[in-house]
Amino acid sequence: NIFTKFQESINAEQELREEIRVIVRQIDQSAKEAAIALQIMHTSISGISQGCLKAREHFEVCQKGYRKLAEIVPAGQYFRYSDHWHFLTQKLVSLVALTVYLEAGFLVARDTVGEVLGLEITQANGFHLELEDYLIGVLQMVTELARFAVNSVTLGDYQRPLAIARFVADLNAGYRLLNLKNDGLRKRFDALKYDVKKIEEIVYDVSIRGLVRNGAPPLINAPTNPQDVPDNKEDEPKV
Amino acid sequence: SQWGNNRRRNNRGGGGKNTSNQDNVVVDESNPILVAFQGFARELDDKHDRYEKIVKIGRDITIESKRIIFLLHTIDHRKDNAEKILAEAQQRLQKVRTTNFAEIAVELSGRDQYQYARAFSPGLQEYIEAYTFYEFSSGKDISDWEAIQERLTYKGEEETPPIKCLVQPVEFMLGLADMTGEVMRRCVNSLGSGDEDGCFNTNRFLQSLHAGYIGLSSTGNREMPKKMYTLRQSVTKTEAVCYNLKVRGKEAAKWGTEENLLDKGGDHGNADIDEGFF
Repeated sequence: NIFTKFQESINAEQELREEIRVIVRQIDQSAKEAAIALQIMHTSISGISQGCLKAREHFEVCQKGYRKLAEIVPAGQYFRYSDHWHFLTQKLVSLVALTVYLEAGFLVARDTVGEVLGLEITQANGFHLELEDYLIGVLQMVTELARFAVNSVTLGDYQRPLAIARFVADLNAGYRLLNLKNDGLRKRFDALKYDVKKIEEIVYDVSIRGLVRNGAPPLINAPTNPQDVPDNKEDEPKV
Repeated sequence: SQWGNNRRRNNRGGGGKNTSNQDNVVVDESNPILVAFQGFARELDDKHDRYEKIVKIGRDITIESKRIIFLLHTIDHRKDNAEKILAEAQQRLQKVRTTNFAEIAVELSGRDQYQYARAFSPGLQEYIEAYTFYEFSSGKDISDWEAIQERLTYKGEEETPPIKCLVQPVEFMLGLADMTGEVMRRCVNSLGSGDEDGCFNTNRFLQSLHAGYIGLSSTGNREMPKKMYTLRQSVTKTEAVCYNLKVRGKEAAKWGTEENLLDKGGDHGNADIDEGFF
């Protein structure tokens, strides 16, 4: 009858969820180790490339985990179970994006994240990297970069905040192109302005004290006097 | 920055509108980040628009299903109108299936069925409620979700795979639980119209469903416990109806309905449970 049949369907689903949970936990462990490896950036500029290499090793382990996940999640049922790995994927995107930024100085493409983690880009191809997860992950990276800007000054690298400021300004402009709904991505985006502000204040501090080398490339958001410090309120919607 | 304010103003409108404003924004083509984000914007808009569209269709399904249920309640054995009403209900259910649900299926075709399931879940549950209530009213066996799923699967053109609206088992069970409330109402109506057998039949039917729901282990669905509570109340009400019939005979039960049929509390919550009709 209906009820035994329904009970069977619940049981089958719960078993699969249990399997997914186990794998997600394993990937999460590697993600944590990658995050730890990258923490070196806040204490030693010279250790960064080493840290990135280490992080990439952990990403490979994550990739294997994702492949396993892709195998057990039935085709066309990604969104049935995706609650289990949304947060994890966002965290990993931020770590991959951070690694790529530290290595090469640009924003990691969505395809590249997919390649590193072993995920497809489009839903049609199977187990994929959801666009929202990518976008939220990149925002998480910005928060880490804001912290990095502070610490790079402490470590005596005064040019670094300028580069970060330019990069984050571009990202900010990019996110403003999106029509966001009132969802998780929107909430996370709303926090971006605080990171932008923090980075701009650092740029201001090093600029006004003449700590930045002369002949630095012209900067989009490097104010030279207090009047030019961008006021975030200007970015708020005008009713 | 120059891309700043253009965006937000159009934000509130949600999906229905054609959110093409980023096409008006001139983006610096040499900036790879902006170029990429322009693509992301299109992708997100497409998704949000589709979601909104499905929500709207789902709302229409909810309204029509509620009306069909209302129609089914007008069956009265004194008027001998069952056949006519059942025929009309069937035809209207059919129409919901071939128009509204078919539209959703088109939107969903080629996509992960679970991605937009939430957008039309209330409509689907209401439809299941109406459909199973129709089956109950016409004395048929109640379908399960596979039968409903089959009904909501549409053959595409030749050589293309069929398109469908996903019917999740748990949504079926929630819709069926809603249906018990209608059966309870039918029981009380039967009492009013002096249909003694109708009262006992509905009571037995609810008792068997109740027994089935009790046996389920946790589904992980948040709505389920609420429905179980309501189901229990419905069962108790029909049991009270049958009790009164037995003790006082059907004439007495009729005038006894309002005052002491549902004496053990719970009846006052009825106003909240009743979803009302549009």
